Amino acid sequence: MAADTSPPELRCSGLAKTFPGGVEAVRPLDAVFEAGRTTALVGPSGCGKSTILRMIAGLEPPSGGEVTIGGAPPAEIRRRAGLAIAFQDASLLPWRTVRGNIRLALRLAHKPADADAVDRLIRLVGLEGFADTRPAALSGGMRQRAAIARCLVTGPELLLLDEPFGAVDELTRRQLAEDLPRIWQARGTTTLLVTHSVTEAILLSDRVLVFSPRPAALVADIAVDLPQPRSVAMTASADFLDLAQTVSGALARGIAEAPDTLAAQ
Amino acid sequence: MSAPASTATSAPAGGRRTALGIFFVILGWELAARALAGAYLLAGPTDVLTYLAANAGLMWRALKVTLTEAAAGFVIGNLAAIALAALALILPRAERAISGLALLVFCLPIVATGPILRVFFGPGLGPQITLAALAVYYTTLIPLLVGLRAAPATWFDLVRSYGRGPMAMLVHVRAMAALPYLFAGLQIAAPAAVLGAMVGEFTGAERGMGVLAIRAMRALDVEATWALASVATAVSILVYAAVRRIARMVLRDPPPLILAPPRHSAGRPRNGWHAALANAAAVGGLAVILWWGAFEAAGVSPFFGKRPGDVLAFLFTDPHAAMHRVTLGAALAETALYAVPGYLAGLALGAGLAAILVLRPALAGIAMPVAIALRSVPIVTTAPLVVLLLGRGAAGTVTLVAIMVFFPTFVACLHGMRQAPGQVLDVFDSYAAGPLDRLIHVQLPAMLPAFFAAARMAVPAAVLAVTVVEWLATGAGIGSLMALSASVSDYGMLWSALVLLALLSCAGYAAVAAAERRVLSVYASEQLA
Amino acid sequence: MTRGFLTRRAALSAGAAGLGALAAGFLPGRAQAQTAVTLQLSWLHSVQFAGSYIARQNGWWQDLGLDVSLAPGGPNAPVEPPVVSGTALVGISAADYTAAAVAQGAPFRIIAVAMQKNPFVIASLPGNPVNAPADLPGKRLGMAIANTPVLSALCQLNGVDIDTIEIVPTQYSAAPLLAGEVDCLLCWETDLPVAMAMQGVESQTMLMADHGYALHSQTYIATEESLATRRGDLVALMAGEVRGWETYKADTDAAAALTVEMFPDAGLDLETQRLQAQRQVPLMFSDLTDRQGFGWWTDETVAENTETLALLGHDVTPDLWDRSILEEVHGG
Repeated sequence: MAADTSPPELRCSGLAKTFPGGVEAVRPLDAVFEAGRTTALVGPSGCGKSTILRMIAGLEPPSGGEVTIGGAPPAEIRRRAGLAIAFQDASLLPWRTVRGNIRLALRLAHKPADADAVDRLIRLVGLEGFADTRPAALSGGMRQRAAIARCLVTGPELLLLDEPFGAVDELTRRQLAEDLPRIWQARGTTTLLVTHSVTEAILLSDRVLVFSPRPAALVADIAVDLPQPRSVAMTASADFLDLAQTVSGALARGIAEAPDTLAAQ
Repeated sequence: MSAPASTATSAPAGGRRTALGIFFVILGWELAARALAGAYLLAGPTDVLTYLAANAGLMWRALKVTLTEAAAGFVIGNLAAIALAALALILPRAERAISGLALLVFCLPIVATGPILRVFFGPGLGPQITLAALAVYYTTLIPLLVGLRAAPATWFDLVRSYGRGPMAMLVHVRAMAALPYLFAGLQIAAPAAVLGAMVGEFTGAERGMGVLAIRAMRALDVEATWALASVATAVSILVYAAVRRIARMVLRDPPPLILAPPRHSAGRPRNGWHAALANAAAVGGLAVILWWGAFEAAGVSPFFGKRPGDVLAFLFTDPHAAMHRVTLGAALAETALYAVPGYLAGLALGAGLAAILVLRPALAGIAMPVAIALRSVPIVTTAPLVVLLLGRGAAGTVTLVAIMVFFPTFVACLHGMRQAPGQVLDVFDSYAAGPLDRLIHVQLPAMLPAFFAAARMAVPAAVLAVTVVEWLATGAGIGSLMALSASVSDYGMLWSALVLLALLSCAGYAAVAAAERRVLSVYASEQLA
Repeated sequence: MTRGFLTRRAALSAGAAGLGALAAGFLPGRAQAQTAVTLQLSWLHSVQFAGSYIARQNGWWQDLGLDVSLAPGGPNAPVEPPVVSGTALVGISAADYTAAAVAQGAPFRIIAVAMQKNPFVIASLPGNPVNAPADLPGKRLGMAIANTPVLSALCQLNGVDIDTIEIVPTQYSAAPLLAGEVDCLLCWETDLPVAMAMQGVESQTMLMADHGYALHSQTYIATEESLATRRGDLVALMAGEVRGWETYKADTDAAAALTVEMFPDAGLDLETQRLQAQRQVPLMFSDLTDRQGFGWWTDETVAENTETLALLGHDVTPDLWDRSILEEVHGG
């Protein structure tokens, strides 16, 4: 299950996006994401962080700059099924069961169908007893958990998570925040997490990048040096609260300095 | 956020490809005509243009007449659809009866209704306008019934929370939610109205495209026949495009092409069967009462205006009843032999071409104009031509039925595949899945609701096609039997054929709907909720 | 006269047949009250009904107090029902169709016969002609399946085994003959052979009426009720018809020209109409009509007709024909 190749380093050089028609979504971004680390991208909703994630995955062509993953363009890692992405909208196939959706990822990635691994992941995301249920019968949060399990099953080298806990209830969310990082950290997966929750960003990552409202421009690059493994209890610690204040401050600064804050909202 | 990007850039290139596609189609037509010169079969574009230049006045006057009839029928038919939808809204319990009765009337074969309408209306434009109206109202009614309920329940709660009633809901919520569905119906209706008007002219009219078409076919005037087919097609395409343009101006989103999700009967599959049967019985009873009552009230002559009792007697108690049943059965069997393969071939072609276009989008430039043209050609002008080209055997009839079924299926399937959720396709992209994987795992299943909606509506279309071909071209099957019965005053046979054919069409429709419910309960369970 | 014609047409195309009649009642300047009646034709407007056009154009009906509208037929147009329902006073049918309608309970009488000779022919090309029924065995005959009883009757009348003829189902079109798919066609003297002639192909036609197929065509039918209660209107209508057709015979070219002029939107070709008008004459006029006038028949021709009708499966009595209207027309 573990990745065959060592996790790659991800590099964005002058990565920018202006949509046809002149809407600027992303200001040129230079960033290096070290192999095996988890980085959270934080910003106001609609700022363009999802666009950054899509450009990194190669789903959206950049209008400037480039993305390299282990020195190669994104298409390369996709070709060897080393990438997995989860969206806020769970994007499950409605005509397949939870198990069917997860197994489909293995099939698309040309990996052997490992029934035990699939069941383990289903248990891990708390969907025991729902393996043979179709998405329509699940709550929004359960669907998102199924989508996360689908992401993890292929053992990706690069994991891109776009607001993956948006619809998950608070209690489960805390549980997942403790459990999931263990999986990708154990595998040394390079992970990017888009979120607008400051708490989630700090709890799950080694580093937080804060963006301004659209067009997304990097406002702050904050290292999270809390010890691993983390637990929800840590959110009450002084270190955590300091960090949270720093991130929130950076967010507020970004909003204040944006030229047309109201329009962006 | 990123969705508009790709469509905006591809529009001009798509337009160029379409123009190129049209050019190649016309070139192919001309070359085929040159190759077949002297066979009295095919007139090419240059022949058609020459004819049109020489007979511009005649053609223009005929076109004005037919378009006037079609427009009147279009307006009346669509107003009737709106009125029926409103009635269903006021009396929700009657919705099933209304849509059932509407389907039954829509399934009446025009070969038989034409002369009956002529008798009722006498000379004039009555049958032309009525047939045009009958050809359009159902395809508007069904999407409208869906559209009027297409708003989320919370919107209604919102209106209610301000203390406003059903009227405010209709104005602020339902009407707005239904608008895209209304336009989806109107777009399909436009070419159908032209066809209805032309068939109406076959029942005894002084002027119009239908009159010229009969004359040209009889007189071996190949140029005139193809010129008429070309003009009728061009006009139908223009009307289709005009409705589309208006829809785009009025609506901000393109109109939905899915005609109707299956009925929103909540759960209880076992009760569903009984309810469906009870509803069918109620609709049948209502139809019989309306039929009998209207004829008695109007004092329609029993010589040609047969009542329900007459049809029952003709089929069961008359001394020759057994013979009548054999005649009808044989004709129906002969018709089914062509209609069923044509119907299935049309469905397969429609879905298949849509799949090919999804795999190879560049082909759309050629495929789309051909598909729209095929759909818009009034079948009354093409039926004899296609049979001339392909022969009176199975090939010609099956082809025409397939053409009638093909286009709506194709458009619906294409639309359905585009409904495939973009993020799911992104997930597939993230695994670098190939187009075939996307097609099999995402796009084909996503297409199923649209496919079934089209397959249901295609049942009456296939019956229309096969009966028209049999009547005008091959002289076989139930279509020919109906025409022949009318000419020898065998109105018992005509009405029996009409009733049987309408019932069989409804049964076919119901069978497709039942299959649809089964399949969609797996593949689109959220649409059933 | 033309003016009155146009007014009437306009009212008709407004889709209100009754309205025209109503308006006529209010229109000032008419010498006498006009009774509105409809003559239901059996096909689209063409020189096939030119006698009626002449009568209307010359105002002969108006002089007799009738405002006649001519309702066109078509491939899907009912002819007998409007007569039964009273929408049309008179319809143009054929003896076999009339007999079928009577068998279904329609109270029809034939009150005049326009086509003394049935127009059905076997058309062939001169290189491989069919001149007599005896030439038919071994030939490929293109025809509509619906006309099988017609061929069967011809065969019985002439002692030909129908099974020796290869029947090829075709549309009502000359194309299969020209393409060599068939050797001959079962059609009308006045349509496909005329269409072929206009395309420059001279064909050979064998008139079935010359080989025992005696069947009145283009017959005028009315209901027994009309015969009892509306004799005056019927006599007036038929008087106009008779006069119109006698005039037609005198100058068929003028009749063709009038037809084309009267129906500019019907897509009629003058040359075709002229040729059709000429070919119609021998079918409609004979020594009998020369002696007795247009539309006439004798007990003898009725006997021949009932015989042919019997072969076609219709049992009728001579009562089907009622000559009283014609007698009044020609007597008066």
